[in-house]
Amino acid sequence: MMIMKLKKYFYKISWLMIAAPLLSSCSGFLEVEPLNEIVLEKFWNEESDVENVVAGCYSSLQSQACVERMMAWGEFRSDNIVGGTNVANNQDLANIFKENINASNGFTSWDQMYYVINTCNTVLLYAPTVAQKDPNYTESELNATRAEVSALRDLCYFYLIRTFRDVPYTNTPYLDNTQSGAVAATPFDAVLDSLIQDLESVQQYAVKTYPTNEPYYQRGRITQDVIHAMLCDMYLWKQDYQSAARYADLVIDAKLLEYKNKIAKSSVSSNLQDQLLNGYPLITDQSGSSYGNAFSTIFGDGNSSESIFELMYMNDDNMLANGAVSYYYGNATTFPGIVKPAEFISADMTLDVPQVYTSKYDTRYYENMESSGSEYGIAKYASRFAQVTTSGTTPKGTHGSFYPSAYCHANWIIYRLTDIMLMKAEALVEMIDENDSTATGIAQRDTLLHQAYNIVNTVNLRSNGSTNKTDIDYNLYSSKTQMANLVLQERQRELMFEGKRWYDLVRRSRRDGNTNYLVSRVMQKGSENASVLQSKLTRMEAIYWPYNKEEIQVNPYLVQNPAFGSGDTNSYEGTNK
Amino acid sequence: MLVLFCVVAAQMSAQITAVHGSVVDEYGPIMGAAVCEIDGTGRIIESTTTDINGNFSMKISNPKDKIRFSYVGCKTVIMLINKEEYEIALKSENVINEVVVKAQRRLNSGGLAIPEREISYSTQTISTKEFEGLGMNTIDEALQGRIAGLDIVSVSGNLGAGTTMRLRGASTVSSLTSSNPLIVVNGNTWNVDMSNFNVNSANDEQFAQLLNINPEDISSITVLKDAAATAIYGSQGANGVIELTTKRGSLGKPRVSYSLRLTGTYQPEGYKMLSGDDYTMLLKESYFNPEQSHASADIRELNYDPTFSEYEQYNNNTDWRSAVTQVGLRQNHFLSVTGGGEKATFRISGGFDNETGSVIQQALNRFSTRVALDYYVSDRIKIATNFSLTYTKNKRNYDDLLSIANRKMPNMSIYEQDKNGNDTGTYYEMLQSASSVFNDNQKSLVNPVASAYLAKNDQRTYDISPEFQVDYKLLGLDDNHWRLDYQGRVYMNIFNDYVDKFYPQALTTVAWNNAVNTSYAGSSKSVAFNTKHTLTLIPHFNNKDHSLMMMGRVELTSGSSNGSGTEGRNLPSGGITIPDAGGLVSGLSTSYSQWHSMYYTFSTHYAYKGRYMADFSLRADGTTKFGPGKRWGYFPALSFRWNIIDEPFMEPARKWLSMLSLRPSWGRVGNQPGTDYLYASKYASANKYINMSSMLPSNIRLTDLRWETVSTYDVGMDLGFFNDKLRLTLEWYRSTTEDMLMPNIRIPSNTGYLTLATGNVGSMRNNGWEFNIDTNRLLEKGKFYADFNASFGNNRNEILSMDKNVLKSLNTDFTYGNAEVLQRVQIGNPFGAIYGFRYKGVYEYGYNTFKKMTADEREAFLNAGHTAPVAMAADHTVIYDDEGNPVRMMYAYSNTGAAKNYEFKGGDAIYEDINNDGNINALDIVYLGSSLPKLTGGFGFTLNYDGWKLNTQFTYRVGNKILNMARLDAESMSTNNNQSQAVNYRWRKEGDVTNIPRAMYGSTTNYNTLISDRFVEDGSFLRLNYLQLSYALKSQLVKHLGLGGLRFYISANNLFILTKYTGVDPEVGYGSYGASIDSGQTPRARSYTLGITLDF
Repeated sequence: MMIMKLKKYFYKISWLMIAAPLLSSCSGFLEVEPLNEIVLEKFWNEESDVENVVAGCYSSLQSQACVERMMAWGEFRSDNIVGGTNVANNQDLANIFKENINASNGFTSWDQMYYVINTCNTVLLYAPTVAQKDPNYTESELNATRAEVSALRDLCYFYLIRTFRDVPYTNTPYLDNTQSGAVAATPFDAVLDSLIQDLESVQQYAVKTYPTNEPYYQRGRITQDVIHAMLCDMYLWKQDYQSAARYADLVIDAKLLEYKNKIAKSSVSSNLQDQLLNGYPLITDQSGSSYGNAFSTIFGDGNSSESIFELMYMNDDNMLANGAVSYYYGNATTFPGIVKPAEFISADMTLDVPQVYTSKYDTRYYENMESSGSEYGIAKYASRFAQVTTSGTTPKGTHGSFYPSAYCHANWIIYRLTDIMLMKAEALVEMIDENDSTATGIAQRDTLLHQAYNIVNTVNLRSNGSTNKTDIDYNLYSSKTQMANLVLQERQRELMFEGKRWYDLVRRSRRDGNTNYLVSRVMQKGSENASVLQSKLTRMEAIYWPYNKEEIQVNPYLVQNPAFGSGDTNSYEGTNK
Repeated sequence: MLVLFCVVAAQMSAQITAVHGSVVDEYGPIMGAAVCEIDGTGRIIESTTTDINGNFSMKISNPKDKIRFSYVGCKTVIMLINKEEYEIALKSENVINEVVVKAQRRLNSGGLAIPEREISYSTQTISTKEFEGLGMNTIDEALQGRIAGLDIVSVSGNLGAGTTMRLRGASTVSSLTSSNPLIVVNGNTWNVDMSNFNVNSANDEQFAQLLNINPEDISSITVLKDAAATAIYGSQGANGVIELTTKRGSLGKPRVSYSLRLTGTYQPEGYKMLSGDDYTMLLKESYFNPEQSHASADIRELNYDPTFSEYEQYNNNTDWRSAVTQVGLRQNHFLSVTGGGEKATFRISGGFDNETGSVIQQALNRFSTRVALDYYVSDRIKIATNFSLTYTKNKRNYDDLLSIANRKMPNMSIYEQDKNGNDTGTYYEMLQSASSVFNDNQKSLVNPVASAYLAKNDQRTYDISPEFQVDYKLLGLDDNHWRLDYQGRVYMNIFNDYVDKFYPQALTTVAWNNAVNTSYAGSSKSVAFNTKHTLTLIPHFNNKDHSLMMMGRVELTSGSSNGSGTEGRNLPSGGITIPDAGGLVSGLSTSYSQWHSMYYTFSTHYAYKGRYMADFSLRADGTTKFGPGKRWGYFPALSFRWNIIDEPFMEPARKWLSMLSLRPSWGRVGNQPGTDYLYASKYASANKYINMSSMLPSNIRLTDLRWETVSTYDVGMDLGFFNDKLRLTLEWYRSTTEDMLMPNIRIPSNTGYLTLATGNVGSMRNNGWEFNIDTNRLLEKGKFYADFNASFGNNRNEILSMDKNVLKSLNTDFTYGNAEVLQRVQIGNPFGAIYGFRYKGVYEYGYNTFKKMTADEREAFLNAGHTAPVAMAADHTVIYDDEGNPVRMMYAYSNTGAAKNYEFKGGDAIYEDINNDGNINALDIVYLGSSLPKLTGGFGFTLNYDGWKLNTQFTYRVGNKILNMARLDAESMSTNNNQSQAVNYRWRKEGDVTNIPRAMYGSTTNYNTLISDRFVEDGSFLRLNYLQLSYALKSQLVKHLGLGGLRFYISANNLFILTKYTGVDPEVGYGSYGASIDSGQTPRARSYTLGITLDF
């Protein structure tokens, strides 16, 4: 009897035993992890994790969304660029050229820039924890990482403030949906100050030279030179010209040293001075009897000695292509691209006396543009090779083949030597005190004017294709205003289509306190609604961009730029016209 | 002690080792009577049968067992084994005194088997007997209009396309959580999770999976509506539950049944489209009008110029639609064998379907089989298995042929024609060198006939679901004892899906390096494993007034799905169509996901005197979709039922009233997002930089993401008249969704991210009522009887609260474009409101014509009812400007970025100037109606007479508005697309009185197709869903043929539709926050079916 009973219970118990493990393992059972991604808890353990995310910061900065913003924000509103092939198909773009920018324009979105910022902030948060876990990741490496990602973050913020003036600013990463992103915009000056402060504090830790077995790191990643270049640029915006000039000198000296080291290593033992141009290590444009060497080296080959920081697009099918250049400037299939040079620039050489260029022999004209039928397109970056022949009365430029569509691997240059030189020139000019009529004051003014002139002239000279390389006539630019204009014009000629011109004009307007110069320049390119354009740009706020409508909708603390109305429409209502 | 027991046991068994004897009944010895030794659990240990003299002898294994004697038609006798010889006289069962068996229909819905009269929640059951033999492809087609509150809309008429179902309206605005009700097959949730791998448009596929259950295999369908009913499914049941029960074997000799259905389907005709001649005339006009220049209308393809090299290709009148449609044919074969004995029952079925679509070159082959076995190990233990397999091969069109056919230019030929205008064997595609005006919308339209024949888009799916189940009665065997029943079940679902696509170069005329000969091969596999353990306790009370049932269940589910796809382009030949056939492999993708979930369910039912019932259930859901701390959702439900009819005071009414009950209930269910790992910060690999591999954070983790919950109050009332001949059910409900989940919440992007993957954004409410009638032989006279059923339902929803940022992003700004649908979601207002302008016809005359008139002429002009684009004041007088000229009507006149500053001209659409300011702008937009129907439902009746049966079912919808974008496109005259014949009545010259504006090419040259009440139509309809006439041969006749039964039937599905709606099919989806829009999807085909069912 008892056995029977026991047997009966045995059955029942065994059933329960089957069920029991199912019941007990409940907490672990509900933990599953993605297989094609890594969760935070398993990440940030070793040095390579940090390196990978740092690489990710670069690769997201070189995404089309970022590079096209560097182009559009930095130059499309300027006098350099107008709509090109089928621009009507891209309403957002067409509206930029009509100065009909409103808050729903797609180019006002900034999420990709902030994505880089947030990723940098994430690295800054977690890199120290990796340093504690991974003994291979040393303190100095950690500091170098800090300098590198801080610089990348600050670069993004610098683009944002130059475009939008006041922007939301934070150094804490957003990781969690309990953190609210709805914050007020920090004023331009406050952001700029903290960027400068930040860079000043990390510059000493930044890598000076990357290992020589990684030939692309030196120009493709943040170095101390890049941080100095950024500081020079930022001080220029801060109107602290002494510091700007100081940092420009640091960069120029470093470039000179780099050049000297290179020469010392090579077997050529010729006179160094001969190879420098007025003391600056500029790549010569002349190659035999023709010109175009500097263009092909700097923009075609990329990674040139003159470059300070450029986003590298490796010549590899499986790697990201520079879609922005291909789409905007053009490619083998579509040329000109959806944008092209302004008419007055491309027609400059048809004038008896060129207005944009100082001479008919300025090789940059022939290098940077290429005619296609009756119109000119932008060849800078879009073509790998240019050759300018100056024999005969009029120089002629030809270009090597353009990159195929969807396969443009031109690097995007953010800072290069002539940019820094001309920034220094700008700083020098601004240091001039015209009201100081003492002898020392006048002497000081003369020195500064000459220094600035020398820089401009050097840059200009490099691209002078005439046989009797004439200097710019100093006497035409002997006042501060004239020299300041000359510097800006040289910047326009030298850095055309590199995403710099609009920022130059904005910086100038900030300095002047009005937009007169900017308006006079932009009016040159002509527009179907020139009068509207003129009246719109009279407002100082109008030289910045409106915040995207969707941002205003979800961030109640963001106050729309008053030049662009309430943000819902581009209506004049509610603005103090 | 143990030894002693063994000895005792051995001694006892030694006593009797074999038995013998004879079995007789009142007529003498019985041959073949079963004699069995059975153990305490009823399990058979030894058995034998009696010989011709009724004698038997049998070995005995254990004298502690019992011996059982049984014979068909006789009462079974069970005796103790206490002697070796048995003389048994069996008594015929017929002589037993009459026993009144009070059969109670019990409804087992996922939990407790509760008598139908005691069910306290809202549910509706249909036996598939009701639509046996209809030409239904799937069960959802059959359910249409039968379940009050269930609205089923077919996704499209394509083969293998599914339906979307809404039970009591949408409970959520999210597309993240599907709003379709949960499908439960034999208690197993149908949860093949395909969310992570979207092989192709998921919509078509989602509910097409229901196809994988052969309708012939289903024995009943139960729809659980209120939260009290669905709460035992917890988060899975938030949108209602449809429970399907498949047929199982039954006792008796094997019965074989074969049925064949032959169905012909065809496409209902849509808009009549223009012929080639009309089309070219229209296009020339629409190019001429905006520029007023013949040069812009000088297009070679429209000129009928014999010197044009492609002249023969563009001088035709092709009816593209008839070229891509045909009569589709479907054959369904179904064979089932069922039977079983005392120990085991079985049912094996197999079906084969072959179908060709009503659009050319679609073909579907489906093989499905299902095996159900029940083995009764003993009175206590039953083992059941169920195995089903469905293989589907669906040959689909690569392109949406009907849509292309409706747009394709009709003067173009299908085949390339030689110089005499004769068709060659090659399909004609518009050349890339054709006039550039066709760049935007004719060059991209493939020749649909060519696409049908040359492109490949095949899908194969395997769906395998094995199931194993053990039932163990731990305590009592019947209602007179305490019962504790255990049920354990293991269920697996394996779903494999393969897609092969190929698009040959012949269909594209682009250059070789622009991706031609493209190919794709993808597959996804998904495996779900589910185990369920249920304990049911039914106490026995001596006081019969009380009855109590309790159930506890634990359920674990785990699953994984992975998929991969390969894309290839520039394949060298059209002969080999796999992606790696030598071209460029351009895209590789893989995906993997897994999920686990865990459910605890407790459910109890208490009844007092069968009159007062109370039910309580609680379900706890654990899921991997939420982070720690938020993983468990608790879903309680409480419901009551009061059978008023059983009260003594109702005694007098019982003659005619058989049921009167009241059922209040409350319950809460929940919803989880469809995506995994939302709570974790994730890092994914990204593009390399220089030579550095890179990783990037991919999301903002959602730490405080919560369950979406839906609480429902429901009051139901059941009425039965004349012994349930007529039954009425009335339900009222109010359900409130809180913490509504919505995907892609826009956040300030200075966080680095544009959107959060999902968020809890607000709350909404559904209110509604339902009414259902059905009858059981309501009218009966002799051999004739008739039944009818009807259901009505109404649902209203409104947003109660919503995150204001989300609300802003749902509401779009009007940018003054043609065909731009304004969407407004407002707190406190129902979904689906349609806004737009009021359309008042077409300006007969231009502005200048009016301006040139004298004052008297103007007055006469206006009095005669003529129209010209001049601004009118509220008192219908013309507004004049400072110079005395009439003010011209303008469209969107302002200084803003959205300004169009368009001057209306003769032949342009007249929009009502609501505020009489001479400017048609956003201020003139008015409310044009609601997409929500006032009433939905269906009704039907069956008439029976002696083997003849007529069965009909109608569905209807009343009082909803549809925005007919398909007609807008067919009448816009602003593109190169072919247009409907209505545009032949367009305005052509001054003075034309018509409702159709002039032809104007270009999207910004005219504003004739703004959203206005011209395109908002009444979507009410009445559809004859099916009509079936069947005849069952008389059984005597059938027996002569050696058959068990023979039935014939003919049926027609979707026979006609009564509606004022001008589109092809007014059954357009609704329920989302936007307007209900008819974008011209493939309508449901019409079909006729001929069927035969044979039983052997």
